[in-house]
Amino acid sequence: MSKVALITGVTGQDGAYLTELLLKKGYIVHGIKRRASLFNTARIDHLYSDPHEEGVRFFLHHGDLTDTSNINRLIQQTQPDEVYNLAAQSHVAVSFEEPEYTANTDALGALRILEAIRLLGLSKKTKFYQASTSELFGLVQEVPQKETTPFYPRSPYAVAKLYAYWITVNYREAYGIYACNGILFNHESPIRGENFVTRKITRALARIKLGLQRNLYLGNLDSRRDWGHAKDYVEMQWLMLQQDQPDDFVIATGVQYSVRDFVTLAAKELGITIRWHGSGIEEKGYDDESGKCIVAVDPRYYRPSEVETLLGDPAKAKKTLGWQPKTSFSELVKEMVLEDLKIAKRDNLMRQNGYDTPEQFE
Amino acid sequence: MNALITGITGQDGLYLAELLSNKGYNIVGVVSNLNQALKRTDLALKNNKVHLLQCDMNKMECIADLLGHFSINEVYNLAAYSSGVGMYDDPIAIGEVNGLTVVRILEAIRITDLSIKMCQASSSEIFGETTDTPQTEETKFNPRSPYGAAKLYAHNMVRIFRQRYGIFACSAILYNHESPRRRPGFVSKKIIHEVVRIKLGLSSKLRLGNLDSFRDWGFAGDYVNAMWLMLQNTDPDDYIIATGEMHSVREFCDYAFSYFDLDYRDYVSIERDLYRPAETTHLVGNARKAREVLRWSPKVEFPELIKMMIDKEIETLNQQEKLKGS
Repeated sequence: MSKVALITGVTGQDGAYLTELLLKKGYIVHGIKRRASLFNTARIDHLYSDPHEEGVRFFLHHGDLTDTSNINRLIQQTQPDEVYNLAAQSHVAVSFEEPEYTANTDALGALRILEAIRLLGLSKKTKFYQASTSELFGLVQEVPQKETTPFYPRSPYAVAKLYAYWITVNYREAYGIYACNGILFNHESPIRGENFVTRKITRALARIKLGLQRNLYLGNLDSRRDWGHAKDYVEMQWLMLQQDQPDDFVIATGVQYSVRDFVTLAAKELGITIRWHGSGIEEKGYDDESGKCIVAVDPRYYRPSEVETLLGDPAKAKKTLGWQPKTSFSELVKEMVLEDLKIAKRDNLMRQNGYDTPEQFE
Repeated sequence: MNALITGITGQDGLYLAELLSNKGYNIVGVVSNLNQALKRTDLALKNNKVHLLQCDMNKMECIADLLGHFSINEVYNLAAYSSGVGMYDDPIAIGEVNGLTVVRILEAIRITDLSIKMCQASSSEIFGETTDTPQTEETKFNPRSPYGAAKLYAHNMVRIFRQRYGIFACSAILYNHESPRRRPGFVSKKIIHEVVRIKLGLSSKLRLGNLDSFRDWGFAGDYVNAMWLMLQNTDPDDYIIATGEMHSVREFCDYAFSYFDLDYRDYVSIERDLYRPAETTHLVGNARKAREVLRWSPKVEFPELIKMMIDKEIETLNQQEKLKGS
């Protein structure tokens, strides 16, 4: 019998990688996507086939974490062995504009799933994975951050995610549900959302390289993050649900770089050497060859109550799960740059042949 | 001064309404059912300085409208699914009311008038299964119930709105606080109620869960005073409001039964099904910061609190008996 997995947030970066992983492992995968006026399945289209064909193991359902009855019905219908709760309003800056929606989705969404598991009598059958986040550590109370580090969330996003974290712990302890938190540090990939800083950088630099764009505007260049590859991290999410006992784990590389480091390295992959001048909001990055300013700071992108530094200690995951990230920072940056360069080249080709390519800015 | 009190018909709401109306405040009280609230005989609500109304707290715009319409200066958010019995019963509703309503109030303040002050009734349950005893404002949070998780959500949002928008918003981390007005569903009230019934020969057994569960029990009247003081200070902050004394449920029983020269061991039976699904341990607060900064200290001590509750319980039961008799 194939195992059945239900993935919320299936159209997102992690959802796509996880679906691919689980399908490879022989799972039947049910994904929940929100209805949108534009197609929002670009990341999983290559995995999806016509449900009328034979042997299809990947199914999509419309749903929304803010809708209790919808969640209940989908869990009842699919009777999953494993639920991966990856859906979230995941943008920190947006969470200041939409704190209530963020809480309804990110906080109560997790609870709605756990309640459904409990009320449908699936507490012994269904395992639950909650996508927790390094943003819980916010104003970090110790370096590096591990499972026992006190949380200090600094955004409505992080506060909502912290609620989901505790609810997950609570349902594990109070009802014996196999429920785990993966406290994932930043994880990126070529299919990272375009408004996350890493993807914004690789996309912009590739376009600058081809002359499709002049400048890249960023927020705090000194922000330091622990960046891993999403493909490695979803393997972790799966591993957490295959243990004897449910537990919470920090998933990180244990290595930290600044946003500036990321820019420098990404540019280097494109053959651009960046010279940095000035500091704070006056800091600028110049293309060493042309002398042109290509990177500048726009305080607009400074986050309200900035989380300055995050660095994870993945020792527990290494020891207990035998997990080790496979992709190094430079490999990650390289992969992202090359993929965005391909897209930029396609845009360039279209433009040269008289077709419009939309400019997309944040 | 104009104050808005949510949960005004609850134990704390009534004490706070009394306190504020004595200080000359105009009070707007939000209730969930206006007809029911108007039928109540509590003096605190009969005061003509108290304006009761219904407001859909699920809608930010209703809250904002209320703040603007009554030129509210201070908001006291006491409405909540309470701790004690029921802490696990309807977790989604608890998350909605104890968690999301708070962000709606904060958003309403943000769009209406940033100078409106707010005091959030936070809870010692945010410490849950802590290893620090006693807890201070620096203690790591470790909530162990849907109630505690929702209260922690609210607690954190209060801090974030204070830091981000400069709103004078405070959380009062309240430890258990009781009074003659305590409603059923709390172990304190349950003990008092049964002790008096046993004394009057109306009952012979008191069924309880974990007798060795420790709590820091204060008097609700003292605690609402702390909430008011928090909003009168120069800077907004979060404070632990507690007595600092820890008593077990067993001790509570001992004191209560001793009041009638009875031995609790003759009446109390321990029932496993009354244990909480996940038990929190040893919640006792260190209110040093409130003492030093706000000059606050609890006035009513543990034995006196129990006596107050018993006296009121006898009075209530006597009234009921009289009514039956007549």
